[in-house]
Amino acid sequence: MTQPATAAHKDAPTSAAKSAGEQGGSRRSGPRWDVRTLSLLGVLAVLVAVGGITAPDEFLATSNLQLVLTQASVIGVVTVGMTFVITSGGIDLSVGAIVALASVWATTVATQEFGFAGILFTAVIVGVGCGLVNGLLIAYGRMVPFIATLAMLASARGLALQITDGSTQIVSVESVLDLGARDSYILGIPPLVLIFAAVTVIGWLVLNRTTFGRRTVAVGGNAEAARLAGIDVRRQRLYLYLLSGLCCGIAAFMLIVLAGSGQNTNGNLYELDAIAAAIIGGTLLSGGRGTIIGSVLGVLVFTTITNIFALNNLETAVQQIAKGAIIVAAVLVQRRSLHGDT
Amino acid sequence: MAPQPPLLTMSGITKSFPGVRALDGVDLEVQAGEVHCLLGQNGAGKSTLIKVLAGAHQPDSGEITWRSEPVTLGSPIAAMRLGIATIYQELDLIEGLSVAENVFLGHEPTSAGFVVRGSASRTATAELLERLGHSEIEPSRLVGELSAAQQQIVSMARALSHEVRLIVMDEPSAALDPEEVDNLFRIVGDLTADGVAVIYISHRLEEIRRIGDRVTVLKEGRSVAGGLPAKSTPTHEVVALMTGRNVEYVFPERPEAGFAAQREPVLKVERLSRRGEFAPIDLELRPGEIVGLAGLVGSGRSEILETIYGARKPDEGRVLVDGAPLRPGSVRAAVSAGIGLAPEERKAQGLLMLESVSSNVSISTLSRFARAGWLDRRTERAATHKAVRELSLRPDNPDAAIRTLSGGNQQKAVLARWLLRGCKVLLLDEPTRGVDIGARAELYAVIRRLADEGLAVLLVSSEVPEVLGLADRVLVLREGSVVHTADARELDEHRVLDLVMEGSLTP
Amino acid sequence: MPRTPATSRRALLFGTAAVSAGALLTACTSNEPKDQEQAADNAAPVADDKPGKAVTVGFAGPQADHGWLNAINSNAKSRAKKYSDVTLEITEGSNDTAQQIGQVQTLINKKVDVLVILPADGKALTQVGLQAMRAGIPVVNLDRVFASPQAYRCWIGGDNYGMGLNAGHYIGEQLKGKKNAKVVELAGLDNLELTQQRTKGFDDALKNYPNIRKVARQAADFTVESGQAKMAQLLQAQSGFDALWNHDDDQGVGALRAIDQAGRDDFLMVGGAGAKSAMDAIKAGNSVLKATVLYPPTMAASAIDLARALGQGKGVDGLAEFEIPSSLTLYSAVVTKDNVDQYLPTGFI
Repeated sequence: MTQPATAAHKDAPTSAAKSAGEQGGSRRSGPRWDVRTLSLLGVLAVLVAVGGITAPDEFLATSNLQLVLTQASVIGVVTVGMTFVITSGGIDLSVGAIVALASVWATTVATQEFGFAGILFTAVIVGVGCGLVNGLLIAYGRMVPFIATLAMLASARGLALQITDGSTQIVSVESVLDLGARDSYILGIPPLVLIFAAVTVIGWLVLNRTTFGRRTVAVGGNAEAARLAGIDVRRQRLYLYLLSGLCCGIAAFMLIVLAGSGQNTNGNLYELDAIAAAIIGGTLLSGGRGTIIGSVLGVLVFTTITNIFALNNLETAVQQIAKGAIIVAAVLVQRRSLHGDT
Repeated sequence: MAPQPPLLTMSGITKSFPGVRALDGVDLEVQAGEVHCLLGQNGAGKSTLIKVLAGAHQPDSGEITWRSEPVTLGSPIAAMRLGIATIYQELDLIEGLSVAENVFLGHEPTSAGFVVRGSASRTATAELLERLGHSEIEPSRLVGELSAAQQQIVSMARALSHEVRLIVMDEPSAALDPEEVDNLFRIVGDLTADGVAVIYISHRLEEIRRIGDRVTVLKEGRSVAGGLPAKSTPTHEVVALMTGRNVEYVFPERPEAGFAAQREPVLKVERLSRRGEFAPIDLELRPGEIVGLAGLVGSGRSEILETIYGARKPDEGRVLVDGAPLRPGSVRAAVSAGIGLAPEERKAQGLLMLESVSSNVSISTLSRFARAGWLDRRTERAATHKAVRELSLRPDNPDAAIRTLSGGNQQKAVLARWLLRGCKVLLLDEPTRGVDIGARAELYAVIRRLADEGLAVLLVSSEVPEVLGLADRVLVLREGSVVHTADARELDEHRVLDLVMEGSLTP
Repeated sequence: MPRTPATSRRALLFGTAAVSAGALLTACTSNEPKDQEQAADNAAPVADDKPGKAVTVGFAGPQADHGWLNAINSNAKSRAKKYSDVTLEITEGSNDTAQQIGQVQTLINKKVDVLVILPADGKALTQVGLQAMRAGIPVVNLDRVFASPQAYRCWIGGDNYGMGLNAGHYIGEQLKGKKNAKVVELAGLDNLELTQQRTKGFDDALKNYPNIRKVARQAADFTVESGQAKMAQLLQAQSGFDALWNHDDDQGVGALRAIDQAGRDDFLMVGGAGAKSAMDAIKAGNSVLKATVLYPPTMAASAIDLARALGQGKGVDGLAEFEIPSSLTLYSAVVTKDNVDQYLPTGFI
């Protein structure tokens, strides 16, 4: 070869390819701080600045930080599960309904008799059970995820309504209520936030450091290639919806702690919030790429916006408009950065 | 050729993308009524050039003259208005619309300016299809129901539905059977007789010799030779221009005939069949040998491979590895028994295009690098790196994104996956599709080396010389049945073609 | 027509349980007749507990996904059970307009004698109300009003503006004499008209008290979860205020939880609708919740009474009128510790 090739897509070794190799080698460990994640961090920084300027006394208070993180916790845990499902090329529209069902099932008079453990166990089991049904329908019943989870949404909401008859089930188990009280903070961190942090860390490790995570990405990136590479795609799908259900069960327990009650209207529109947070975080809706860190940042961005608007006493309508604008802006940034990659 | 002004002149065309200079000074001159062939390896700039010509890309610099007038091809519509039509390699048809709707998409015959006259477009489409020798295609059928070859005809009909003076065809013969190719060439002949110019892109030199008038060769974004006579320029000269070195269509040396006959077969296929796809087939594969399946598109070649692999469930028959029968219809059973597949559609069936080389190579071996589900990424990377090196995959970097690799290197990544897994039987479906000439030789050498190391290889290819040159034994298929089995050295291309078309040996 | 004995006429239309309806009567009639015997002599025949002509009442309501709506259903059912001459045809509740229209049409086809309709959306169900009236079936329109008065024979419902007004007046009186008093409003679903009315009534009442200023308003959506979330934000935003007006006791459960979590007790809270949990808290007196403004679900029981009277062609006791009024707006009483025992039986779960 007389001319050096311009890019790495030549068969012969080139200097460009070699240097790409060296770069690749040096950044192979640790989370990838790509453009999307950085841009989201930028958005968050801007929001913090806006909050600090418009409501300096309230926004930067420790109690407000605790509040924002607490409010992000429940939907945050749901979003971690959703991120796995979307990464695998699926969708789970039933998360809000599962949270509702798990939260009312775990707060019936009969369940409350078993105390803290009874409530926690019931919430988790109901979540996992719903996830199992979703997974079986999708993986082995060959239903489209959109339809299967839509059906679960309808029936879980219906069942939740049937259990409660529309009434609010107040929790009277003190140990559960105490978990949401101020004096149970550990080093100033609310227990719910600790649960959220734990789920996030475990979620990140599972997605990035385990065979399960790698297979999830493979199934989402190219299900046919994954199947032909010898991966049990169906079993993987089953596990993924189970995982999402498990996250919903945990979130339901957290919501019970937070609201001190179970109600069939719980988890209203969680599916949309979780999908939106995952997408602006950088998880591809078509599957094959997912980021837990991005999803968590997405949740924090939305929660911070709500907080700033409330501190400045702005209307709900304005909040919703801002939320829509942020989704559009984030997706535009993603598209640009994706094109930049190519 | 008469000294009349050329139909199209492009001079000094350059075009850069972020990080890549795709065109670096291309000159091209096309006369009305000629077939002008464009040759070049993958990445030489052919696709970018025709996209500039189609108005899909804007050149950074350079001049385009059309019928002696300087023009700017600002958009696909502008190009179409001038009479330039392009038939892309990836067919750009809408599967959910009918043939006629596709042909007249964007310029539907209308009443009152907006009411589509369906019958008018169907009639016109039928005429176009008849002109193309395919009156059997119903204008009202959905494009998604047509075969690849038929879809290509529809694409061509769409091009001809405009007032066309120049048609660009990007590898039109890639998805076609020999008889379809003949029909294509007849159409090209008709067009040029009417004074239409054709820019023809193909990897197959023999096609260029058959229909081409002149050749322009591209290399690394530059036109290195223009207007060579297509019929008389020697092959080695063309190859030398394309590659910058003198590479022949080289196959690695084969062991002597019958060398493997004493070995125990590793793969046995007994009376395997699928209704409507292939008749019961028997097959034995011994370690170290490469067996080729030759046949037309639709002769059941890929289906046989995929059924052996468990990706399709057989109606009857069974597959044995080392004497043990496999659970039918289970890819996982086949993989654990030691079978690997390099599928036909590499991007759609073989690779995770968003992932790194390493992830693509290790995907079938993940549990080996995991303890209780946790991946040891260091060991994984070291192992994939080793496999990648053994196949001299470029770049020598397991972290490179697979989508940045050339076709040949992507194929090597698939082979590395099975090398890493340590499989005994390798099923190769069109292993050199989309791989350019220089890289092919390297791939052939790798495949032969894997066989020499004890692998049994079953090869499917629509390029007969490839099967004959690489395989030890050849099974010839026609309409789902094996019509002939022979040592590869006893066959030649004409005989195979005769077999697949007629099904009987003629002297 | 049998003469109606005076003794039973006290129970009549609105029943002992329907305390709020009693409040309506006291509010509407300044001079409740003391001498029942005399009143009966010159009045039209009025409905009473005695079995009369058998009446089939069709009842169509929205999906009971909220404690108040659930109470509406149970009030209607238990009231109908009380009368041996009333058969209740109750449909599966639905929030889907089209589905509810279908349900009402089914009831029309079944030729029920009277219809009680609580529409999911008043405007959208007006047509089917008109259909029923044209078919000769009198319609009692419950709470959410139809767009045309021709679509119902009688409307009975709560007073959202009055709720806000009474909540505002109660807070105004409690904070009388306090300088620069601040109040905060936790509203319900903002895209419902009733939320706007409750806010307007509240604001109008506050105009009478120049010492009070509304410093913040956030809208929740009638759920416990949103009540907790929005209240937590409000508490963060407002470090000190004197009173809170919360539109809905269900979301109030969440609001109280947030107040509890923030450890705040420096203000008084007024709720809305009249949930049992709220009344229990008022009675216990150990939280910031000091009062709740009623939006009585007993209106469903009253609607059954009205339907029965319409079906039997009788009037309302206690009024001189021959006919049942075409509209009854219920009074939004303020429930405080002083009168909570009286209202506790009407509290919904």
